Amino acid sequence: MADAEVSTGRTALAIVLGWVVPGAGHALLGRLRRGLFFFVLIGASFTLGLAHDGRLSLYSPTDAFLTGLQVVANVGVGPADLAARLSVYGEPAYELPDQNDPSYARRANIFRDRQRSAVSAYGTAYLWSAGLMNLLLLLDVWDIAKRRKD
Amino acid sequence: MRSHFGHLVVYSGIVAAFFSVLTRRDRTDQLKFAAWAWLTMTGGVLLLAYLMLPFPR
Repeated sequence: MADAEVSTGRTALAIVLGWVVPGAGHALLGRLRRGLFFFVLIGASFTLGLAHDGRLSLYSPTDAFLTGLQVVANVGVGPADLAARLSVYGEPAYELPDQNDPSYARRANIFRDRQRSAVSAYGTAYLWSAGLMNLLLLLDVWDIAKRRKD
Repeated sequence: MRSHFGHLVVYSGIVAAFFSVLTRRDRTDQLKFAAWAWLTMTGGVLLLAYLMLPFPR
């Protein structure tokens, strides 16, 4: 007999937990080894991204669509992105403020400095991939909870 | 690491491993898929680079 669906509350918990800690949603649903594997893989991608000056994108109203997508890709990895932003920008910076804003120059300079690094393009690919892979994992958690996958 | 080829190998390895475990359940299938995906990505990039040789910047 097929297993029953996971309750809505537990599914929601697994998805939230999976976003906070990559792979934790799988672990909560009993796929511990798979969860650990994804944790290591996404953690490696995220670490490589930070080590190679990957872009921690800032939303800019002048290029709302692309910068918005970039921030989503960054944030997909969970609170680790917030920790990285606190470490790099010294504040939870997600947006490039208006040019008249006193914090504009500081954020823009930090952003440009990282972008100028010779390895930033590699780092950005690792960082965005880590976030996007984690978002895909949340869909996988959903499928497992709904018994569409084993 | 500044080697473009090194990053190609590592990055395609991460992506191939991720999608193999995400989309395949059987261990043998996972290994086959990972090898196929990794070879396709690295081989595809090398082929593209070769094809671009006659067109320098």
